Formats: sequence, structure tokens, C-alpha cells
Amino acid sequence: MSTHSGVCNFCGTGCGHLLHVDDGAVKGVFASPGHPMSRGRLCVRGWHIHELLATEDRIFAPLIRRNGRLEQASYDAAISHAAERLSRYAGDEIAFLASPRASNEDNYLLAKLARTVFRSPNIGLASDQGHGDAADVLLEGAGLPAMLGALTEIRRAKLILVVGADIARLNPIVGSEIHLAARNGAELISLSSRRTQIAKLSRRHLWLNPGTLRHALAAVAKVMVERGWEDRAFLGSRTAGFEEFSRYLAGLDLGSLTAASGLTAAEVEDLARRLAGAGSAMAFFSSGISGLDRGSVALLYDLFLAAGQVGREGCGVNPVTGICNIVGSYDVGAGPRFLPGYRRAEGPAAGRTPRELLAADPTPLKASLVADRDEEIVRHAARIRELECLVLVGAFNTPFLEFAHVVLPAATYAETDGTYTNTERRIQLNRRKIDPPAGVRPAWRIYADLAAKLGAAWDYASAEDVMKAIAAEVPAYSAVTYARLEKDFGLQWPCDDRHPGGTARLSVDDLPGPLKFVGGPADLPAPAVSGDYPFLLMAGKANYFWHRNNIMKKTHIPKREYNALLLLYPKGFVELTAADAARVGVRDRSAVNVVSAGGSMRVAVRVSEDVKPGTAYVPYFIGDMVPGFLNARGFSLDEDQDSVIPVRLEKA
Amino acid sequence: MAAALAEDHDLYGPVIDPPGAEPRFDRVEDPAAVRLEAAIPYNPPKSVIFPQAERIMSYTYDRAARRAEIVRDDHVRPKALVGLRACDLTGLLCLDRFFLGQEFVDEVYRDHRKKLFVVANSCVRPFPQCFCVCTDSGPAAREGYDVNLTEAGDDYLFEAGSVKGEVLARRLGLKDAGPGAAALKARIGEAAVARFDAEATQNKAWISRVMNRVTTGFVSNDIWEYIGDQCFECGACSFVCPTCSCFNIEDVAARSGQTDRLRSWDSCSYEGYTRMAGDHNPRQPVEDRRNKRFFCKLSYSQSRKYLRPGCVGCGRCVRVCPGDIGMSNVVTYIRREIAKEGAE
Repeated sequence: MSTHSGVCNFCGTGCGHLLHVDDGAVKGVFASPGHPMSRGRLCVRGWHIHELLATEDRIFAPLIRRNGRLEQASYDAAISHAAERLSRYAGDEIAFLASPRASNEDNYLLAKLARTVFRSPNIGLASDQGHGDAADVLLEGAGLPAMLGALTEIRRAKLILVVGADIARLNPIVGSEIHLAARNGAELISLSSRRTQIAKLSRRHLWLNPGTLRHALAAVAKVMVERGWEDRAFLGSRTAGFEEFSRYLAGLDLGSLTAASGLTAAEVEDLARRLAGAGSAMAFFSSGISGLDRGSVALLYDLFLAAGQVGREGCGVNPVTGICNIVGSYDVGAGPRFLPGYRRAEGPAAGRTPRELLAADPTPLKASLVADRDEEIVRHAARIRELECLVLVGAFNTPFLEFAHVVLPAATYAETDGTYTNTERRIQLNRRKIDPPAGVRPAWRIYADLAAKLGAAWDYASAEDVMKAIAAEVPAYSAVTYARLEKDFGLQWPCDDRHPGGTARLSVDDLPGPLKFVGGPADLPAPAVSGDYPFLLMAGKANYFWHRNNIMKKTHIPKREYNALLLLYPKGFVELTAADAARVGVRDRSAVNVVSAGGSMRVAVRVSEDVKPGTAYVPYFIGDMVPGFLNARGFSLDEDQDSVIPVRLEKA
Repeated sequence: MAAALAEDHDLYGPVIDPPGAEPRFDRVEDPAAVRLEAAIPYNPPKSVIFPQAERIMSYTYDRAARRAEIVRDDHVRPKALVGLRACDLTGLLCLDRFFLGQEFVDEVYRDHRKKLFVVANSCVRPFPQCFCVCTDSGPAAREGYDVNLTEAGDDYLFEAGSVKGEVLARRLGLKDAGPGAAALKARIGEAAVARFDAEATQNKAWISRVMNRVTTGFVSNDIWEYIGDQCFECGACSFVCPTCSCFNIEDVAARSGQTDRLRSWDSCSYEGYTRMAGDHNPRQPVEDRRNKRFFCKLSYSQSRKYLRPGCVGCGRCVRVCPGDIGMSNVVTYIRREIAKEGAE
């Protein structure tokens, strides 16, 4: 046979695919009909992963910067050089940036390298906004720091609430499952500030004012409890903390919450009633590329808990990750704030991420080891340029090379064994299908080699050996072996003695203790407009994320498709309704100045009825927008998905 | 037979690997791995002669001398494709007519096609996803094969459809089936058709009425928007379709210094597909791209290049679509509109 089963390496859905291998190279891809979740579907990215795997735009040899130029070197020389240089730094002078696309084996050893060899707790994960918050809330509330439901049970949910995420673009196959469930009778409700594709396909689109998700969720919860619709039997027998949550809700003013959210009282009440009365219900929100803030996740979880929609078939509070191994990275301790197995990193073990360190002015950071770094937008470029030692480990050529002092080429996911954990906690094994370019090593081996140079003799002969170590340290992986992963399409953790076949979803019959209410945010400020700044501008990261992702540039068709809008609006765009555009005195494609208290930028107008009157939407992917307009104001897209800035628009 | 073909061809056929998996078309080293009885493979066989990604030529350009040296790729090997059901065989004929039967003859495709030996496998029963009886493309294979097999009890009727087929028959030492063979084949075909009502339950699609409507263009824009809203713009319908032939050409600089010209599958569902230099895009909104697809398959003026409807009733697009807009569903939506008008 020339087709071999594998798992897509782009988004967090983890669809099954079949790679066509001929003459030692990947020549094609097909959807895998047997995969239990994706069942023969792929998105535009997945259908073209063979283009990425065929690219010659790779890093083929180790490089060391000498006299300003990157020169080829041997692995031995480059690793020695990197080890020696990096070991000169301590404390907050050094930090490590893991890749959300790298395998569990890669990330486990990177985290181990950082913590045990360099004795540094400073580990971050690129493109990870918000997933840590979601994991934190779900760990505290349910003891399960990831999706509580299962993607394979979407078809059994009677009600599906999509919160914010343009899921049809972020994770198309998850969006497909949701859409097909709706066509089979599930009640699909979207709660978002923009009219996304899934909103158009929903029975109900609750069109929020920007920045008021918390208000809407709090209002719905308050109405549910005031009317006595909460699931009292469930609350009494399975949960703890409801009284405190009720008191919190009682202290909120329903009228002002509803008014701030832009929903009607009837819409709020309707959602509360449906959610409480549904036989089963799931909530989906984006986590990773773009994520909800902790307060919003907490309210969403508490709302579903009050409605009794946690821990049964077809139920769940479900963060959806946008990159293939964000969940796995956290599982093995390569995400910030958690050690392997979700022990909270506290005290000296709680480090700071490269992003946090670079945001300080002046920054204490002097050295960093970075994996992949696919995201093209470089914040704090000037500070990164000043670093004394930057080591980059990665497979693909990237503009980020200009910042690196040592470069170590890695194998792609098709050139080495590795496991990746998708958004529904499914650990899936990708077997090596082709040889890497001559001499190129897998990343996990590079980290082991670095450790060896610094006196730590690890003993991993294969990626499978690394998985054995992971299974020994991460309780939720303790029954995982490559042989078991290969038998079926992976295993969902927890996969341990009590759950040898894995765990599709959280189940009330399987809880060590009660499910806990996490508690809503203390304050609920609503973004305010003023005479000077009468528009609310939403800056959205998720939709066009892959446009500014380096690996997408190595493809042909997906690159063309992600470029489609950019060709129409080369300097970026801001979406306005036709009426608002007319009031400002502009039309589609004409230029407008977007002015905020912290700065301004000039972009083209894109007339769209997908935004509410009085609001505007800007995708973050346009060239200078992030370091320029958004960062200059001190505004950080690191906050919640619903990031909002009051602005005014002036005809340019 | 497969073993004989394997001696001088690369062998391709339906396989089930690992056991219990869905059938797919794949290259086989062991002729015994070919599973003629398998249901319609998930992937269409077109990648055998129209690969998903293919280097069709390479060149080096001497800038100083202003001269290009072009090397046509001569990588095509003889291939035998065994187990094509009538729908897929009809798809192959559509591709033949598209690539070879119009004003411009595609040399790359012709090279693949001339070196292909086709063994069809007439269906004796439908599968749940089938609707070839609606698209006049089965269940029996009619033309375009080198060999056609029809299962008749424990044996197969072997029909040679070309000189190559006859040569194979002699090589295998097959004996004449006798004067009743044609009638037997006809009876088997009728029995297969009779089973559609009960067994081909997923995709009943009354295409002929809709073809008339699509040809004359009276389908309201609301329908196309309804369809467009459900499109996830993944391209899968084009990739699984046995008759879809759209492709993209891309020149890629190789490390060796030469430039490779790649041909790869493309899809009219993509926004960038019809975008032109100057950024004009005659099919920018998704509903315009969706109506293009169904016009291509169902409208007389566009499908006449195939000398038949552009759909072969294989049901793959229905299975692979993340939305719910495979051929049979779209036909149903349009028929509903026709019926509604009739009632008014």
C-alpha cells in the first residue's frame, strides 16, 4: 500500500487522514473515513497538508551566527555552542517557548530540559491565549482540565451553545458536527458579537454587544435561578457551592446586565429556559489561538452546572483548541502555570512566560530557546533583537531566523514518531512515514542531546521511550502505550487503571468528589462608548490566524485562500455596517482612520452586515496593526477573545 | 488475472486495510489484496491518472543567456486499475472527454491514460449511497473498459472491451462463455436495478427534472444562499468526485536550482479559484461558487462536454461534505422549490 494512516497536524480537531507516500516523499492526502470523530472529512488546510510536507523551504542544516551571518555547522558544534551559551543565564534572564504544534514527546523533553537541566520554571507556549484559563476553571470545578464532553457525542446533544467562536473557520470539522447535529434536530444557539457562519446556521443568534459575554452569561444564570429552573436534584446530589453562586447572582442587577449585553429580556429568559430544560447540552468556545477570559469561562461553567448539563451523555463545557497539540502541551507540562499532570506550578516552580518577560520594560530576558514559532507577528521585535542568545529549534524556514543565534533543524511530524492530543483529550499517534532530510533529527532528540551536553544523561532511544516516561509521570496517561494507541484511533485521557480504554467524557458516576461552582467575576465592567469614541471596535484574532502562520505560507492552495481577503484589502480592513459607513461618509474599500485614546491606524472599510450597528471589527492579521495600533495603546490581544476598544472613525 | 496484469503494470484496486477498514483504492503489491466485492471505495480512482499533486515538467532558466531548458517529466508507468464500478468507470470517461475530447488535448493526462489498463466491475447490487440509476451511469458497465467483469454466481463473466482486453483473455486462456452470456449479463443488470428501491436508500435523487430546471436557469438565489451558508469551503466535494478535473498550476523553485511545475487538484468551492489578475472575481460570494458546481454537473450547456450528465451517482460528495450539501441533498432542495411552485 502507499497510503498510510495518520493525524492532521494543523488545528486542535485532530482529524484522521491518509498520507500517500511514493518514492520516499508525501505526494497526497485523503480524508480517513474510519476516524471516529472526523469520519472522512477534512478542511481546506487538512486537504493540503501534503503541500506543507513536500516543501523544500526547510532548515536543512544546523546554523550558528558568526559575525552577523548564520553559517552552517554540525549538530555537535551547534548543540555544544547552544548549551554553553544558554547555561550562562539564570533566573528571569532565560525562558523557554514551546510549540503548540510539536508532539508530546518533544514538549515533554523541552519542559524537562528547562526545569531539570536549566533549573528554569520560565516556560511558555506560543499561540496559547486563554487555554490556561479554561484548564484552570475546569480543573477547579470539575477536576478535568480540558473539554468535559466528547466531540463524538455532539450528535447526541439536544442543545448546543456556541459562544463567540467562528467555529466553522477555526475548527471546521467540529463546526460540521455541530451543524449536522442541528440539522438532525438539535437546538443550535450562537452567542456572539459578530454574525459568524455558525451564527447564520443557528436556530437562534443572540447578537451580543462587544465585550459583554460575561454580562449575558450572568444574566442567563440569574434568570435561571430566579425562576427556579436550575436542576435541583443534580445540584443537591452532585455539586457543592451552589448557595454561594446564588448569592453572587442575587447581588447582580438583571436589568443593567441585560441592557449592557444588548440582548432582550425575552432572549435571556428563553436561553435560560431552554438550557435548563434541554435533555442534554454542550457549550463550545475557542481556547488557544483566541480564548475567553477566566471570568467568562467560570460563568459559562457555573451556568451549565446549575442547569445540570455536565457529566452526562451529550453534555459538556468544551473549549476548542485551534492548534493540534495545545492540550498535549499542557498535559506534559510545557504550558505555563502547570507541571506535568496538571500539578499547579506554585512558588519557585511558577515561572514567567517569555511573553510576560518581554512585556516588562526593561525586560530581564537575555536568552531563550524557542521551538517552531510559527506565528509571524513578532511583538517586542526590538527587545527580541537585543537578546544575547536565542536558540531556535524547528523544521521550516521562517523569518524568525533573523533573530536567532543558533538554529537546530528538526524533523517534521511525518518524519518521526510522535503523539498529539486533540481538543477532546484524544491522544493520537502519528507514525513516521518518510525519512527526514539527511542528518536531520527529531526535536525530542535535540533536547536530549542538549541535556547530555550539560551533563544530564537521559536514556531515550526512541519517541516511544519518551512516551513511557510521560506515562510514568502524567497520571492521566498512565495506561497509554504506543501499541494501545495504534490499535484504534488513539485514546482519550484520563487513560489509567480505572479507565484503561480512555475516557470519552466526564461522567457523574465517575467523580472523586462533588462538582464545584467556581464563582463569577467580582466586577463586570461593560465597555463604554463616549462622544469622542462612539464605536466599539472588536479586534479578532481567530478568524485569520492561519494567514499569519508561517507554515501556511509553505502551502499553495491554503495560502491562496487565506490571502483572498488581503488581496482585496491589502492594508487591512475594518468591518462596518452600510449605514454606519454612510454616516462616516465612506464606502467599501475607501480609507478610514480608526482613532482610539492610545493611537490611530488607517485601514480600508469593508461594508458588512455581520457586525452590529455602532460596532466595528478588525482582524488582527494586518501587517503593522498588532505592534502598531494595538500594542501602542497598551492593549493586548492576550486578553479575552472579545477584546474591545472604543474608537471613532474618520474619513481619511 | 490481477497477477497477470501485475507482471507488467503497477496494480491498483480496492483494498481493505487494515481488516475492517473502509475500502479505498490503493496501490497493491500482492494481487490477492484486491477486493472486488468491496463497497465503493472512499476515494475515487482518478488519482491514478490525474494525481493529487504531480510534477509535470521542470526547467532551468539561464538568466544571462535568456534561455530556458525544459525537461518534460516522463515518469508515467503502466498501471492497471482493477475493480472500477460503473459509476467510477463513467467518471473516467468524463475525464477522458474533458482532457482529451475538447479543442486542447492534455498531453500529461493522455500519457497516463494510454498506459492504463482498465478492469471494470459491473455491480450486481447497489450500496446504500448509490444513485447511478438516476444519473444513467450503472449499475452495469457499458463502455470504456479494457475488461469488464460481471459476477455470476461463483464465476465472473469476462468481457473484453478493447484489443488489450482480448489479448489478456487469450493470455489467461479463458473459454468462451457461450451464446447465453449476453442475456445472462442483461438479467443480472436488471436484477441489480430492481434492488435499488430497497437497498440504495440514502441518496434518491430525481436528477432529470432538476437538470431541466438548472439548464434553463430558473433556480432562485435563495436556494443558492441556503446552500452557500452550509458550505465549509473545504474542497472535498471536488476531490472525491470522479468527474471533477479542476487543477492549479504552480511553479516552485527547487533546492537543486531547477524550477518544478506542479499540477495539483483545485476546487471551484475556493474563493481564490476564479480570482483573476487585477483581483476581479466573478464568483466571490460562496453561493455563486456553489451554483457553479451544480451547473457544471447538471446543466446541459456545461455538462455536454461529457456527452452526459456530470454526476455519476457514486454518493461520495454526500459522505464527505461537512455541511449537508452533497448532490442528492441539493437536488432535493431544488425539487422542493419546483414542487412548491407547482402547488402555487
